[in-house]
Amino acid sequence: MNSRSKRSLFFLLIALSGLFGCREKSLISGEEGQHKYSIYILGKDGKEYLLETNQLDSGRLTPDRDGAELNTREMDRSVMVKNGYYYYLNRKKTSLIKYAIKEHQLQEIQSMPLAQFSIENYQWLGGDTLLLTGLANPDFKQVRYTMIQTNAMKPIRAGNMEIPVPTGRFDNMSVGFVKRQGAQLLLGYTYHQQIGVSNYTTSDTTYITTLNYPEMTAVKTVKDTRSTYPGGVNTVQTSAFQDAQGDFYFMDCPGIALGNRPELSTAIMRINKNSTVADPHYFFNLSSAIGNHAYGMWSVGADKAIVRAERKDLFKGLGDHYSTPHFEFYLVDVKNNQVLQKLALPLDKGTRRECVLLKDNIAYISVNSSSEGNYIWKYDLKTAALTKGMQLAGNTDFILRIDKLR
Amino acid sequence: MNINKDLIEKYHRNACSTEERDAVEAWLFSNHTDEGLQLPLGESKAAHKADIWKGIEDFLPSEELSTAQEAKTVSIKIPATEKPRLNFWMGAVAATLVIGLSGLGMVQLQKNSAQNEPALVSVNNTSAIKVHHLEVSDYALSVGTNTSAKIDNLTGVVNLAGSILFSPKKDITLSFEGSPKKVTFKKDQTYIILKGKEGTEQIIVSEKNLMDLPPVLQKQIINEFKI
Repeated sequence: MNSRSKRSLFFLLIALSGLFGCREKSLISGEEGQHKYSIYILGKDGKEYLLETNQLDSGRLTPDRDGAELNTREMDRSVMVKNGYYYYLNRKKTSLIKYAIKEHQLQEIQSMPLAQFSIENYQWLGGDTLLLTGLANPDFKQVRYTMIQTNAMKPIRAGNMEIPVPTGRFDNMSVGFVKRQGAQLLLGYTYHQQIGVSNYTTSDTTYITTLNYPEMTAVKTVKDTRSTYPGGVNTVQTSAFQDAQGDFYFMDCPGIALGNRPELSTAIMRINKNSTVADPHYFFNLSSAIGNHAYGMWSVGADKAIVRAERKDLFKGLGDHYSTPHFEFYLVDVKNNQVLQKLALPLDKGTRRECVLLKDNIAYISVNSSSEGNYIWKYDLKTAALTKGMQLAGNTDFILRIDKLR
Repeated sequence: MNINKDLIEKYHRNACSTEERDAVEAWLFSNHTDEGLQLPLGESKAAHKADIWKGIEDFLPSEELSTAQEAKTVSIKIPATEKPRLNFWMGAVAATLVIGLSGLGMVQLQKNSAQNEPALVSVNNTSAIKVHHLEVSDYALSVGTNTSAKIDNLTGVVNLAGSILFSPKKDITLSFEGSPKKVTFKKDQTYIILKGKEGTEQIIVSEKNLMDLPPVLQKQIINEFKI
């Protein structure tokens, strides 16, 4: 072999090692099936991707290279993620489908029929039991549920919940939260009136019904008129949690992106352990504390939560609410009704996103910034230090969700 | 479904079933090859369509004359023996374009000769149940229930009352009546456009951002357009 061909071979090897080196760093590696986190991306060209990774602290992932491209006719971001699997209700196929990423592709593992069902809330009831609460299609008036053993993808039981259907001027409804409480289930919900193709309004009341579990028969209903629209669809964004003491916190969201009763206050409310009503002495008025409506709340431990609030001075209406960067994150003390800090993050875009994860006193917060790019930021709850973690580059337009995969 | 002379005649008499009516309209508005259309060997659907449009020009108002004259310079070769039959088809389809259709208030297409694209697409869907789908060369349109949509392809001005899904095949810039703001729609994406009665806000979002809309509106759109 002459020196020239040796040189050529050398450069070829360098080039090849570079190629394979990149692949090893990315998600497409021998660790497939073991990753701890998943990231759901909407690309600038409308393509969507799922990426899996072992850490969110540093580095850079490019969805078009490192992710599994999704068939957007089959799937959207309202997925439930657990133990390495993704669960999604395919409306057209009327099936609840269980997927996993294998060989760099999202592959269907199992499915079960689920017709005339629009998911409002999901809850893992322990083990592999999943409780889906939803509304009957196509009227969205009757609250239904289905309980599923997800290992085998078999229904355990299903039926209607004894929740009053909309009456009078109200023609549809939303379920905000579902909470298991011993032999009972608490359901938070409200009613809506469609006014036109682009307009609707919401009752001024938050309803909480206690149901016998698992019979789903009503025990009692309480009304709370301090604010309205509890929670939101939690397959898209979290807005309730139970703390270490067993107290349950939920958000009432009357802003234009949920209740469309902007004259009412966004508030955090609390159902104390073993109680079935919202604590009448507790009302954390976020609208007055922040000066804006908020949607989305994530527990970060020790009585603290992160809330995601809009900036009404930066958007015009629903038409640009999702595309304009205007969202801010606040650290709040839910126990003592206090806003502790506005986090010094760039303005975030996307009306609704699943964007906060907690691990070892670090809150990982994904932010889609027009000026600073798409990053998962790290907020150290002990030192209050805020630093950039993993970057989502390439085709990324929105980080739509980050989930703990295992 | 096969589109043939009998069916066109039936369409003209307004005696079609819903399924038959949809098939004729889908054929008329579609630019794609259509297996259902029975034409003699060697004839193209494009040629037939062009001839039908030519027939419609006779129904157009006088200000469209210059466009129509230009159109006449586009020569399309059609076997002479077929012409009488085609003339009947032209009349039948042209007439039905300007009379009201049951379930569908009115559909109007006016031709822009330069691009073989209608200059005006106007659909008044009076059905409370059924969405109307149509396709022209630059975009596909789904017109929601109880919706009136007019798109002037020459000026790019849209007049909308109701809900549409708009899927451009190339980047298209449009403006909405009453607003000077221009909106660019990217090719190969689908947009949801909602416009209520006067005074209410117009909402334009990519179908990809459907989940960002309030769930009440999401459910209505998912249900209406079966997406």
